Amino acid sequence: MSIGRDGIAGLVLLAISLVLLVKSFQLPSLPIVPVGPGFYPAIVLSFMAVASALLVLQDLIKRAPVTADAPDAPRRNYRLVVIAFAIVGFYVLLLPLLGFRVATVLFVGSLQAALGRPRTPRQWAVLAAIALGTAMVSYLVFERYLLVLLPRGAWTGF
Amino acid sequence: MLDLLWHGLVNVAQWKYMLPLFAGTFIGVIGGSLPGVTITMTVIVVLPFTYGLDPLAGLAAMTGVYVGGSTGGLIACCLLGIPGSPASIATTFDGFPMSRNGEPGRAIWLGVWASVWGGLLGALFLVFLTGPLAAIALEFGPWEYFSLFVLAMAMVAGLTEASLLKGLLSTAIGLLITVVGHDPIGSVPRFTFGSEFIGGGFPFLPVLIGIFAFAQIMTDLEKLNGPRNQPVQALAGVRLERFSHLKVNLEIFKQPFLLAWATIVGLIIGILPAIGGSASSVMAYDQAKKFSKTPECFGKGHPEGIIASEASNNANVSGSLMTIMAFGIPGDAVTAVMLGAMTIHGIQSGPLFISQNPDLAYGIYAAYILAHPCMLLICVALMPLMLRVTSVRMAVLAPVVLVLCVVGAYALNNTMQSVYVLLLFGVVGYVLVKLGFPLAPLILGLILGDQIEINLVRAIMTDANPWLFLTRPISGGLLAAAVLSVALAIWQHLRHQNRVVEEEPDF
Repeated sequence: MSIGRDGIAGLVLLAISLVLLVKSFQLPSLPIVPVGPGFYPAIVLSFMAVASALLVLQDLIKRAPVTADAPDAPRRNYRLVVIAFAIVGFYVLLLPLLGFRVATVLFVGSLQAALGRPRTPRQWAVLAAIALGTAMVSYLVFERYLLVLLPRGAWTGF
Repeated sequence: MLDLLWHGLVNVAQWKYMLPLFAGTFIGVIGGSLPGVTITMTVIVVLPFTYGLDPLAGLAAMTGVYVGGSTGGLIACCLLGIPGSPASIATTFDGFPMSRNGEPGRAIWLGVWASVWGGLLGALFLVFLTGPLAAIALEFGPWEYFSLFVLAMAMVAGLTEASLLKGLLSTAIGLLITVVGHDPIGSVPRFTFGSEFIGGGFPFLPVLIGIFAFAQIMTDLEKLNGPRNQPVQALAGVRLERFSHLKVNLEIFKQPFLLAWATIVGLIIGILPAIGGSASSVMAYDQAKKFSKTPECFGKGHPEGIIASEASNNANVSGSLMTIMAFGIPGDAVTAVMLGAMTIHGIQSGPLFISQNPDLAYGIYAAYILAHPCMLLICVALMPLMLRVTSVRMAVLAPVVLVLCVVGAYALNNTMQSVYVLLLFGVVGYVLVKLGFPLAPLILGLILGDQIEINLVRAIMTDANPWLFLTRPISGGLLAAAVLSVALAIWQHLRHQNRVVEEEPDF
């Protein structure tokens, strides 16, 4: 009997719900209100704990053979997902430092290049145009027309 | 009522509303026609643009996206054999074979016209039934509301295809997210771990954008460079054959029962919370096949299949709008974003929405009705462009969509914290999708969490007797229905245990 992906997910959720359940019992009760701030979270967390435990149990009893990719499903490119998340992470990190315009040009350019590497000078030019265009058009539409403020850069002041 | 509707139509016909409505519908049609871009993602992209507009203009734009997106999906269905959006999944079954048989024009226009008629028929119900529904909702006390929300969550968790347990857990995660922050009665901080930012709770829209848009885009990126990209060019950019719009319409109206029934199926699915367009499209298709005199023709390019699917997914929009306007419960993720936008503008949703904001409510009806001729106009004028749009690469699309997601989160209150929340829940959403947890129940839990708690506490404060939840007839009935729907789901899961097929996650 081995534990599968569902079982691990269930265990993680069970741990989270139990820790928070203990915390919800430690919340203070209020003098006038018949139920304290921990009442409702305790219901939700108890429900979650029971459901997680059942998920673990279900996984242990009946290991479903097909949970992930079916054999004829397209091959998944997880490397790209990791790269994409990393680039988005950098974007979010750089946004307050470089400002919306600079960071967006870099972000759109680098993510496009990561998703489909340009080979000819023309493709590079298209990539640069899309990166610049996205940053400029969104800046103009939001800041000038819709009066929605976008982040300024702490390093660039731009 | 008709006076108010007329007033709404005249009001929305002004440029300041017509322009956002038209633009929204256009973006909706384009977003819908792009495989991998769902209507939810399109409405999320449009969201930041609505911050600077007045409430009706913003909601008109979103309604336009919703209507346009529900129709746009059929273009990819007919030309590529891939649904442009999950809501038009059943159109693929007959739309693509019909196109392959040399009639792509007939397939697409049957779909477009069926969408228009289905949507407009749905509008009748929207206009005339929302008020009475809201009147029923006004009779509800906190017990009934609590039970209604429980029923909504039980139904959504039960309807998930993967696993009932995962559906229920997903709901619980959604509810848990809303618990974080100060409690609504005594403002006691809960599970904040000393963080000031979390003290206010996780902002709803960044969580929603992260979970839906990020998770969807990342799952799309997995398939990039995979074999799915090859047939994409199949019929993209094809020239449509000559055909007559009149003939297409006659073909639709030759079977008024089919159109009416598909509309009603779509409407009912729309009213039921958080089930979404894909279920209505598939269910209406299934019903059409059952009632058809020629069921053997389905799947081979039968017009009835296209009509049923497309009429129902547009009627589904009117059903979702009814639920949000009468009860304040979003029928699906798109209306959840609309609800979020309303909250930003300080509009309280719920049964009093129509009586307190008649201009806005009838403006939304009017926007919904006018979105249909707009959509038709866009389809007539720009069909050649849309035939090409279906082949836009994800490498170009993904960065632009992500930028707009970030802007949507940031502009909410001009803080980077919302963007961090977006990123955090983007990762959470993606991990949950990969672990096979459905996202629709999570979103419903997220939307209803605060309301459930408030109504539960209010009920107990009014009368400490917990049996009232069961003994009050409406409340008891709703809870019984919740138990029944979970029992039904368990029974169905047991019956279909061996027929589990992995499908695309439905956003």
